[in-house]
Amino acid sequence: MGTEQIISMKNVCKSYKMGTERLSVLKNIDFSVDKGEFTAILGPSGSGKSTLMNIIGCMDTLDNGTYALNGIPIHQTKEKELTSIRNHEIGFIFQNYHLIPTYTVMQNIIMPLLMRGHDRKSAETDCREIIDMLGLSERIQHKPSELSGGQRQRVAIARALCSKPSLLLADEPTGALDQSSGTEVLRLFTKLHEMGNTIVMITHDMNVAKWAQRTVRIVDGEMFEDKTN
Amino acid sequence: MRFSEILNLVRLNLIQNKFKVLLTSIGVIVGAATIVCVIAIGRGGKADVAEQFRNLNAGALDISYEQSKEKSGFSFGGSVPSSKSGDTAMPMSDRPDFSGGDFPSIGGGSIPDFSSSRSSNSSSGDRSSRSGGSGFFSEFGGGFSGLFGGSSDKKNTENITLSTDDMDDIYSSVPGLSESTITYTTKQDIYGGNIEETESYTVAGTLSDYADLSNLSMMFGDYLSDADNENKSKVCVLGYNASKNIFGSAEEAYDNIVYIDDRPYSVTGVLAEQGTVESGISADEAIFIPYATGIKYLTGSDISPTITVIAEDVNNIETVTENVKTVLAASYPNAEFTISDAGSKMEAANKSNKTLTLMLIAMASIVFIIGGIGIMNVLFVSVKERTQEIGILKAIGGSRKDILLEFMMEACCISLIGGIIGVLISFMISPVLSGLNIRMEMSATGALIALCFSLVTGTVFGFYPAWKASKLVPVEALSSE
Ligand SMILES: Nc1ncnc2c1ncn2[C@@H]1O[C@H](COP(=O)(O)OP(=O)(O)OP(=O)(O)O)[C@@H](O)[C@H]1O
Ligand SMILES: [Mg+2]
Repeated sequence: MGTEQIISMKNVCKSYKMGTERLSVLKNIDFSVDKGEFTAILGPSGSGKSTLMNIIGCMDTLDNGTYALNGIPIHQTKEKELTSIRNHEIGFIFQNYHLIPTYTVMQNIIMPLLMRGHDRKSAETDCREIIDMLGLSERIQHKPSELSGGQRQRVAIARALCSKPSLLLADEPTGALDQSSGTEVLRLFTKLHEMGNTIVMITHDMNVAKWAQRTVRIVDGEMFEDKTN
Repeated sequence: MRFSEILNLVRLNLIQNKFKVLLTSIGVIVGAATIVCVIAIGRGGKADVAEQFRNLNAGALDISYEQSKEKSGFSFGGSVPSSKSGDTAMPMSDRPDFSGGDFPSIGGGSIPDFSSSRSSNSSSGDRSSRSGGSGFFSEFGGGFSGLFGGSSDKKNTENITLSTDDMDDIYSSVPGLSESTITYTTKQDIYGGNIEETESYTVAGTLSDYADLSNLSMMFGDYLSDADNENKSKVCVLGYNASKNIFGSAEEAYDNIVYIDDRPYSVTGVLAEQGTVESGISADEAIFIPYATGIKYLTGSDISPTITVIAEDVNNIETVTENVKTVLAASYPNAEFTISDAGSKMEAANKSNKTLTLMLIAMASIVFIIGGIGIMNVLFVSVKERTQEIGILKAIGGSRKDILLEFMMEACCISLIGGIIGVLISFMISPVLSGLNIRMEMSATGALIALCFSLVTGTVFGFYPAWKASKLVPVEALSSE
């Protein structure tokens, strides 16, 4: 128990072509996350955090190395299956929420379930509990534009949670929030962690990283420090 | 993703952009309205033709004779207007004008001259004199052909008056005929009823079966009977408009007296309104009298009747035409008769109608293509605008198929909405067009076709942008601003 690996990356490299030169963004990353861990990836701007997260989230391909998510060899998997893996295994939380502006809060939250083929009624019932927990029950018929930043981020968290993913991925979840709503979100993360969720959070802020159980540093595409808080 | 949920997303997006949807679909709106109108006009035209020719039987052959004005042999066989060989297909332009001339329907393209000069022709008007004349003329004609060396050069210089005997002759000799009748028309001065001064009307001498043959229906009374003809009774049947003009109403006209050439005729019947007809006697304006009565009191032999025979089988019309020619040639070897069949007239009319419809359809298609390109354009912009949304959908597990379907359905809905609006508009403007004297027959089929066209437009032109959207790479789509 407790040693089941959700993320297992070995020797992962990623580079971008910049004209004739190659810009190496991730250099031989070895990274693993156990089930139930709350990990922070800390690094300065441009260090390759988002690139790493896109790879973890099965949204981007890697040039070299291996990556297994829940034992699935992602580096060998086709886009069609990756779509399904994103839907089932990963809950995304973005810095700028990435809610769909034309949909209501409820519609946004149930989207991952609808994509799985659930019908509206059962999807709404399934999400009820999470919506209540995040204190959004009053807001479900509102449009994202009618909510505060903190509320929007909670909607995004609800959307990520309702599909009951094996991994929650958060890229700068507090980046667009003020101190108090940021703290609120982080407190929520702690609670979700206590409930047994596996969380990987990306941040450039030491103080935010402190909330995590474990912090990994990334500088210039190299992961060089790994300490447990 | 369930299809119903995709449709729901489409609904949410469209509601959010009502105005844009409307603007996008304008091309399709115009296209659909055009299609509905085009089909309605096409059907209207067809109905028009059917109506205009409804007094004609498809198997009807009109046989008439036109005397050539040229008395001398200066013009050879091929020249106008005497030679009309093989004249089964009649041009549309041949619209008898009843205001000036007084002819029953004649098929020939040339305009015969039957002005007052005909009174100077043979006057006794019975058959014996005609056959005598015929003998004389055939001799003359023989000399003619000897002179010019071409037996087929029929000059129509003889004065021939077709008669009931010719009709009987044709009817008994030509196989495959179901009916026959003979008519002539003449212009006569009329008074009676509300008419203060005499007015000129077309008076048609007909047999009892004319009404049936021309599909005429009665409003009051009965059509002329055989007895009327045998007794040369001074009775008449009025066309609907004629009865209204002379007596104010059809009811008033019935059983009243009309004076034709100063002799009183009792009105034994009034026809129901027939509408305008393309060919034959314009029944609404005419006065019908028994054939023999007219000859006795009005015209003498100074008539150029039309014999109408009905072929039992329309497909045999060509054989029947040839046989009629043969029978007539036996009696009048040097005359060329004008034989026109109703079927080919209708065909010609329908053909020109079809051409028009095709042209209009081509026009509508162009409108649809332009409308489709409009939709495609807007969808491309929409895909650009919503790249991030597509990225989000992909990030949370939206498949390529889901995204393709959503955008396709959006295009289809926009075009379907456009189609529906277009159809509604077409039904609204159809009274206006009808007011402009464009005959339109609106139909559910037309509306359905327009909707199908709209849908196809949406699908065809929506596919490419939708496909583009579905192909977006998730990370790139997501990071786009
Ligand atoms: N699509 C791309 N094409 C080329 N270069 C890219 C692309 N995406 C990222 N990069 C480069 O890779 C490097 C790492 O970018 P990344 O977004 O991962 O940084 P980050 O750590 O998330 O920074 P921040 O904290 O500012 O978000 C940057 O130098 C960036 O310019
Ligand atoms: Mg980043």
